[in-house]
Amino acid sequence: MSKNLSALSFRKGLEKNLFEKMVESAEKTGTAVSDDLKIMAEEYLIGDAIMLGAVSFYDFLKKENEGKKVFYCNGTACMTAGTQDSLKKNLHKHFKEEEIGEICCLGRCHENGSFQFKGVNYSGKNENDIDQIIGGGDLPSSDEYNTGSIFKTPVLLAGFPGLDEYYELLKKLLDRDPVSLLDELKASKLRGRGGAGFPAGIKWESCRNVPAEPKYIVCNADEGDPGAYIDRYLMEKRPHSVLFGMIMAGYLIGSNVGILYIRAEYPDSIAIIEQSIKELQEKGYVGDNIFGSDFSFRFKIIKGAGAYICGEETALLASIEGRRPEVGIRPPFPTEKGLFGKPTVVNNVETFSCIYHVFTVGGEAYSKIGTDASSGPKLVSLDGNFNKPGLYEVEMGTPFAEIIHNMGGGFRVPVKAVQVGGPLGGIVPVDKIKDLTLDFESFKENGFLLGHGSVVCIPESFPILQYIEHLFEFTAAESCGKCFPCRLGSVRGQEMAEKARKEDYKIDPELIMDLLDTMELTSLCALGGGVPLPIKNALHYFEKELRPHLKNQTIAT
Amino acid sequence: MIKSVENTRVVYVDDHPHEFEEGDTILSLIDRHYGRGFVPTLCDAPQLEPYGACRVCSLEIAQTAEGPRRVVASCHTPITAGMHIFPESKNIQRLRRNIIELVLTDHPLDCLTCEVNGNCELQTVAAKVGVRDVRYPEGENHLDRKKDLSHPYMTSDLSKCINCDRCVRACDEIQGQFVLSMHGRGFDSRIIKGLDSTFEDSDCVSCGACAQACPTSAISDIFQSKSIEASAKTRTVCTYCGVGCNLDVAVKNNEVHSIQAPIDAEVNHAHTCLKGRYAFKFYNHPDRLRSPLVKRDGKFVEVSWDEAYDTMANRFKEIRARSGPDAIAGISSARCTNEENYLMQKFIRAVIGTNNIDCCARVCHAPTAWGMQQSFGTGAATNSTNDLEKTDLILLIGANPTQGHPVTGARIKQQVMKGTPLIVIDPRKIELVPYADYHLQLRPGTNVAVLNMIAYFIIEAGLVNEDFVKERCEDFEAFCENIKKLDIDEMERVTGVDRNLVKEAAIAYASAPRAMSFHGLGVTEHFQGSKTVMLISNIAMMTGNIGREGVGVNPLRGQNNVQGAADMGVQPHQEAGDLNVTLPEIQEQYEKAYGAKLSNKIGYKIPQMFEAALDKDLKALWIIGEDVVQTDPNSAEVKKAMESLEFLVVQEIFMTETAHYADVILPATSFLEKSGTFTNAERRVQRVNRVVEPLEGTKPDGQIVVDVMNRMGYEQKSYSPDVLLEEISQIVPFFKGIRWDELGKNGKQWPVAEDGTDTKIMHRDTFKRGRGKFHYFDWVESKEIEKNRDEFPFILTTGRVLEHYNCGTMTRRTGNKDIVSEDILAINPKDADNKGVESGDKVRLFSERGEVELDAIVSSEVKPGILYTTFHFPEHMVNMVTSEEKDEESMCPEYKVSAVNFEKVSPSDSTVKKTEETVSSER
Repeated sequence: MSKNLSALSFRKGLEKNLFEKMVESAEKTGTAVSDDLKIMAEEYLIGDAIMLGAVSFYDFLKKENEGKKVFYCNGTACMTAGTQDSLKKNLHKHFKEEEIGEICCLGRCHENGSFQFKGVNYSGKNENDIDQIIGGGDLPSSDEYNTGSIFKTPVLLAGFPGLDEYYELLKKLLDRDPVSLLDELKASKLRGRGGAGFPAGIKWESCRNVPAEPKYIVCNADEGDPGAYIDRYLMEKRPHSVLFGMIMAGYLIGSNVGILYIRAEYPDSIAIIEQSIKELQEKGYVGDNIFGSDFSFRFKIIKGAGAYICGEETALLASIEGRRPEVGIRPPFPTEKGLFGKPTVVNNVETFSCIYHVFTVGGEAYSKIGTDASSGPKLVSLDGNFNKPGLYEVEMGTPFAEIIHNMGGGFRVPVKAVQVGGPLGGIVPVDKIKDLTLDFESFKENGFLLGHGSVVCIPESFPILQYIEHLFEFTAAESCGKCFPCRLGSVRGQEMAEKARKEDYKIDPELIMDLLDTMELTSLCALGGGVPLPIKNALHYFEKELRPHLKNQTIAT
Repeated sequence: MIKSVENTRVVYVDDHPHEFEEGDTILSLIDRHYGRGFVPTLCDAPQLEPYGACRVCSLEIAQTAEGPRRVVASCHTPITAGMHIFPESKNIQRLRRNIIELVLTDHPLDCLTCEVNGNCELQTVAAKVGVRDVRYPEGENHLDRKKDLSHPYMTSDLSKCINCDRCVRACDEIQGQFVLSMHGRGFDSRIIKGLDSTFEDSDCVSCGACAQACPTSAISDIFQSKSIEASAKTRTVCTYCGVGCNLDVAVKNNEVHSIQAPIDAEVNHAHTCLKGRYAFKFYNHPDRLRSPLVKRDGKFVEVSWDEAYDTMANRFKEIRARSGPDAIAGISSARCTNEENYLMQKFIRAVIGTNNIDCCARVCHAPTAWGMQQSFGTGAATNSTNDLEKTDLILLIGANPTQGHPVTGARIKQQVMKGTPLIVIDPRKIELVPYADYHLQLRPGTNVAVLNMIAYFIIEAGLVNEDFVKERCEDFEAFCENIKKLDIDEMERVTGVDRNLVKEAAIAYASAPRAMSFHGLGVTEHFQGSKTVMLISNIAMMTGNIGREGVGVNPLRGQNNVQGAADMGVQPHQEAGDLNVTLPEIQEQYEKAYGAKLSNKIGYKIPQMFEAALDKDLKALWIIGEDVVQTDPNSAEVKKAMESLEFLVVQEIFMTETAHYADVILPATSFLEKSGTFTNAERRVQRVNRVVEPLEGTKPDGQIVVDVMNRMGYEQKSYSPDVLLEEISQIVPFFKGIRWDELGKNGKQWPVAEDGTDTKIMHRDTFKRGRGKFHYFDWVESKEIEKNRDEFPFILTTGRVLEHYNCGTMTRRTGNKDIVSEDILAINPKDADNKGVESGDKVRLFSERGEVELDAIVSSEVKPGILYTTFHFPEHMVNMVTSEEKDEESMCPEYKVSAVNFEKVSPSDSTVKKTEETVSSER
């Protein structure tokens, strides 16, 4: 990472930051204009190349995006649901080939056929709807999905009682010493919900203890996993739970700024969070001296620009700074040197959302929810191949079968496996569902990964080789390109899978295992390092299906 | 190897214990104990920050010998005590092989015809990890990328690129130019220059740091610096500015092939500017003088060395006999070695018998040497450039280091970008200004006023370091009294700088725990130049910014060895070692050492030599490596002085403006053809090692001087740096412990004690002169302005560009001329508008002394009323207009303030006749 660029960006502050300017520059034509880049380069003293290098990284800023008018979702759920071909056909009636772009993913995995037009998301359920939407008809963009909680009194799904009542808790907590509140948080054993499961209390405490100013709270709202719409739900339906969590983080670690990095694929989330912040400002629940305390806090929303890797925290921070969102080395961890090289807490939306309950019931009580190692509630999102697709709240440790078969109502079509935790999560063959409980440990012990908690079905009819190709392809498309194993390995993997699928090419089991081991063990981040897991799962559990595509031997996974 | 396993700072590499150091990564530890390359890497480079891209340096670690192992990248994984490291396990070998195999799926396999064959890091690593086969089916690749051969020096062939980002990081972390970036993402990511243009069209400053950092031949240069065609490498020191960069020069068949910057160079850490790295082709240029020449009937004819020497010996003897030794003078060269300068002053003093010896320090930093001697007792930088990394604030006065001292400039920029506050006091918006916290854009000629204001505000804010002043300085009270009487309204008016800005800057400087000042010719080349230097010393002393790391007063010396030339006694008032020529007891010592009778009359300074020549008092002059006609102010007068001499010897490597006036021209050698030492701006005496044999017909300057000394009957041993350094160490007190064989790769910073200990920071406990002395001076308007401001209402100030060095004798004979080919006049938009001038127009620039024609550039880098240009090109002879005003103490010319006027020239009525002889001499 460039210390210089980071420091130069810091000089200009957050108010109107470099990345926002890049995004703004692309608004008219779909790509950032050279003249604007020059002006920005001069203003920030960072050179034309750096500007172009940064914008060329993002799907919605790069040159190739110029003139795109409509974007169809190429996410996994839309793919396995088989809605993409007909959607594309319908879009072609209205648009030229070069006007149609791809987007990944809109988080409408429960309805599928989704696309974005004029900055608004739709689920293109049928030809008629699509014609109407494009033709300017007044069709609502809203989607519908089931929600349900395993708890008698829902936690994250709990209804919103109104601003005053909700923020009464904040008022109370601001009277308490941040250090004792941190102890409470640690006692809750809350673990990060973004996928890595790092204890939130320990992260916050270490950030608090770094003697540098200013400090930042960053909400990772770049829920890029195709199949996941958990964070989307929270931001759109329970926005104050997210904001409350961030304010508390600010109070606990000594930061006055909370930044939400929300992906461009979620326009409604951005609008609703924006509105919610406005409400808080009007009430004086954020701003200077909240509730008459010494504590001040303000929010900043940053809209993403189409790059899955920005869900990786160091890339996300680079993105906010206006640098190329490439993955940085660790240490230093963001808690020591994060945004602009200053101590930063980065947490996922759902993690922040849990904070309200932690301080409502107390750390100790919270820790009793779920299992010993994985405390609390967890949201899961089920895709359109379930009978009851939607978003469910479960207790950590809930039998996975309960979620699949009871809450989700089982599968709509014959399904051979589910992928849990996004493209980097494990592929669980249906006969293994019964062995799992929904928590970090159970999935890990069984050779899978809970990740962020999305569930995508792989129908019987969907060739597993094609699914492997899709995973490699996704990785290749989203790889930042910095580390060699991911940049090169994902493409070579995809080429092998495609060749085996389309031609009489047989994959060498030794070669693909060499490739997967290398990516898994040596990649810089969890993208290149993570994708081998589901592919290895697929090779292991679907060896029979794959055998015709393999060179003689069987695979030793 | 370590015995005690109890040691808490121990890790185990394949079960062997090793002690680690604070801040070690696994890779740095293994590099140290097993050698660089033991653990292979492609993206890591010693001159760059750890990056973690290639993953080839991955290895296994475990908490215990038998514990579970984890694969980590060693370049960015910190060492923790007790760690077990397995750098070459079977698993690791397989992983590394697999990564390289992937790299080779997108890399041309044309190694045998590749520039870096045998010196390619990818090739080396591939060999080490043992890839025998690329098993992947043929897929997408980037082998058809086109080469970029647009630039005079830089080249790229990105089909060879492995996306390690080293070039991008070098441009960022070393030069700070941000010309390069990765573009796009994933497999399609690629290196771009500027807005995806070429090296030529980008803002590249051709420092070559990217080319040197690139592990393959993806980015290189026209000299193919990474090829191993020329296997012999000699380390030497750059001939251009006073930074003193070390160079690794590759030679084949006695011809320089290319230059790189040594990674272990303390001065320049794998960095140089384009002059050091690429502008070397002058050394065997066809224009080089290759035979002594004697003027007969107005024409130069080639003669033998013997004939030239005889002519010289006879004329010098004859003139001395007729007019006395003081009718003869010498100008030695700051481009030459210490040993050569020592010899030349010894010749003038011991053989001729006069103190008429001077050098170009007169026209640059003589005021620094004088001023700092008055304040501290020593006329040299107090600290080391490396202190930049330790300082809390940088004060830059009258210097444009990113152009004039590029490596130091880049280092300053690196610190400032990362947040070290910078105060710039300069009439121009120089490159560093946008990065600075404060820019005091004063009117040229008002340095004294601004510095007095700074002192005023420091006192007013109560930020004087009383303890330091009381314990270590003198005359503060008187100074303080005078400062308090300062008319701030008046000072604000004359400087044109807002008093609040000055106040803020003063408080920032005085409040910083460690503040470090750098100054250049914008301080010295003024009517009040020496006084300005003393005022800089004042503010350093009053804030206690002397004698510690990260502080001090640090002149950015102009020429490679201008510090050394003065140290060696090339000044009319001081002997070698800066000792006063007028003191009989001192002269006695020198007389003993030289075995000759010496004069104790202070000799002529350069401007006095010209005056004396015009007055017919000075009759003979021997000039080594200095083009006074092009570089001294008021060229017309200098030419007249040259014409007035009876006998002029010019010792040069090229025909110059001055050489045209010579009676004898001696063909000397460039720095690449000789050995000796240069002393850089931080008092670092470094070894210059001969790289190639002298061009046929030429001789090293030192040898020529020795020959003439012997010819005139003074016995001097043949030129040899070790012998001479031995002699110098007996004479120059601060060279006492300097020995040729002990200088090592990075030299030593004087004073060097007898035991060889050198000095990074001066005046630690006491000042050289005892107490640091405060001086007060009123600001006085330059006479040039007083006299000429009505008729010539604009102030011209001159400087340099990155691409050219001084009068360009060398750089104009290199590819640098393809980058910058003329001097250009910068005019504020308001003034340009008033005169109807647009960028690209020809303008006539004129002063009381003369006129020149230049192309204009309309630029807000100068304030209204101020003009700026450079003086590199004899086609323009900018010094035809510059002022004759001089620093009162040191007689350094006031190049920085000339009263001028200008007007647009329509193409038909070009009024300036280019001086015929000037243009015709430049082929």
